[in-house]
Amino acid sequence: MNEVCDVVVVGCGVIGAAITYYLSAAGMKVIAVDRSDIASGTSSACDGNILAIDKEPGFDSRMALESQKLFETLEKELSFDLEYRHLGSTLAVEDEYQVEQAAEWEKAMRESGLDVRLIGPSDVHSYEPMIAEDVLGLLECASDASLNPIALVRAYVLAARGNGAVIEEFTGVKDILVTADGRVAGVETDLGKILAPFVVLAAGVWTPEIAKRCGICIPILPRKGHIIVSERTFRVGSRKIQEFGYLMAKFGTRDRRGVDSETEQYGIAMVFEPTPHGNFLIGSSREFVGFDTSCNTKVVALMAKRAMRFFPCIKDIRVIRTYAGLRPYTPDHRPIISEVDGTSGLYVASGHEGDGIGLAPITGVLVRDMVLKRPSQIPLEPLSLRRFA
Amino acid sequence: MDDDVVVCRCEEVTVRDVKKAIAEGAFDIAGVKRRTRAGMGICQGRTCEDLIRQILVSELGIEPEAVLPDKVRTPISPVTFEILSGGGAHE
Repeated sequence: MNEVCDVVVVGCGVIGAAITYYLSAAGMKVIAVDRSDIASGTSSACDGNILAIDKEPGFDSRMALESQKLFETLEKELSFDLEYRHLGSTLAVEDEYQVEQAAEWEKAMRESGLDVRLIGPSDVHSYEPMIAEDVLGLLECASDASLNPIALVRAYVLAARGNGAVIEEFTGVKDILVTADGRVAGVETDLGKILAPFVVLAAGVWTPEIAKRCGICIPILPRKGHIIVSERTFRVGSRKIQEFGYLMAKFGTRDRRGVDSETEQYGIAMVFEPTPHGNFLIGSSREFVGFDTSCNTKVVALMAKRAMRFFPCIKDIRVIRTYAGLRPYTPDHRPIISEVDGTSGLYVASGHEGDGIGLAPITGVLVRDMVLKRPSQIPLEPLSLRRFA
Repeated sequence: MDDDVVVCRCEEVTVRDVKKAIAEGAFDIAGVKRRTRAGMGICQGRTCEDLIRQILVSELGIEPEAVLPDKVRTPISPVTFEILSGGGAHE
């Protein structure tokens, strides 16, 4: 059975759902396909970050800020409770060396237009009474927020359906159809062909295997990350708190983090996120172990230990679950949002690593503007696929 | 089952909530969980999973065996951060 539309979006996690929404809102007839349920991969095995504080000052922080602006009105726009909380976030600074680093980061961030300030040792514990006594500072970013990522995917999907988009679950893509003169013509699925002049690959860590079928190489690798879920409990932290060393773990710098070699090896950095339901989530870890999403108890143990270093009060709180997801890693930690050279009409929007939730709105808007040939809100060259050529 | 019956006591999810999730596209235990929080609480679905399977079977007209169970994850029963980290004594 053949279908015809304007745009096929491959993958219905948060990125595919956002693209489907913004394109359908602009009047395009969109069909989104997912080989399983919506939000059944990375988008339901993550946390709900909308952060600018952990972005490199400059292009990356600007892109994050543009996305944060779109989030501010999103609950109203989508008429859906996203559990959106705009409380800012903080990075916990551990020692004098990190105080110096944080001061530099603060300066660079402020120059890039972010509302960032360093809360000093005398005020740390009035902001976060439960945090370890020896924490020397909190670097705060006021524009940061969090939400429920699964709710975000559902909200985009329901609103897109309201705009006339069709979401085809349990529909795997077997091939991308390309004409002899190098134009995309649609996709071939398990259930037949869908013909369209535009195809967007938004399948995250699974985008490379789909792109490979038409000979295109996408440099995205699955990077596994674990999360620990606590029982419902008293208020441990008031908002999102990460250790300052998270920046070092994320960007892979090896200088003076003062952690043991295993914590370093598994890229473990404390991330604390309270939920509106009274639980909290603890991250984070980083491993390249293919598509394995089983929980490594050794990694989880190290994460629990790291969390207790920053919040000693949680030692008797119970853990009810752990889970692991695959973050779509690119070599320069920046997503690929780009037309594919040599195959006009074919786009890639994947590779957001741990930033997919926070960057979903801006990604959806950028893809919409690319497809409709509208001027872009931000430069597109830093996001191009050809930067890896 | 009456629509007002609570199937997940930990997260207070009713039959009506589960049916709504199925109408929205949920087809297995994890899909219902993602849309309703059923099974996300302290018992991790031990009570509600069978009930939700029954509702999926009747709403979708499928066999009970066709309903995928949720993933089993560490820990099997709740443990403290201290124990999980390898320190302290198990109760």
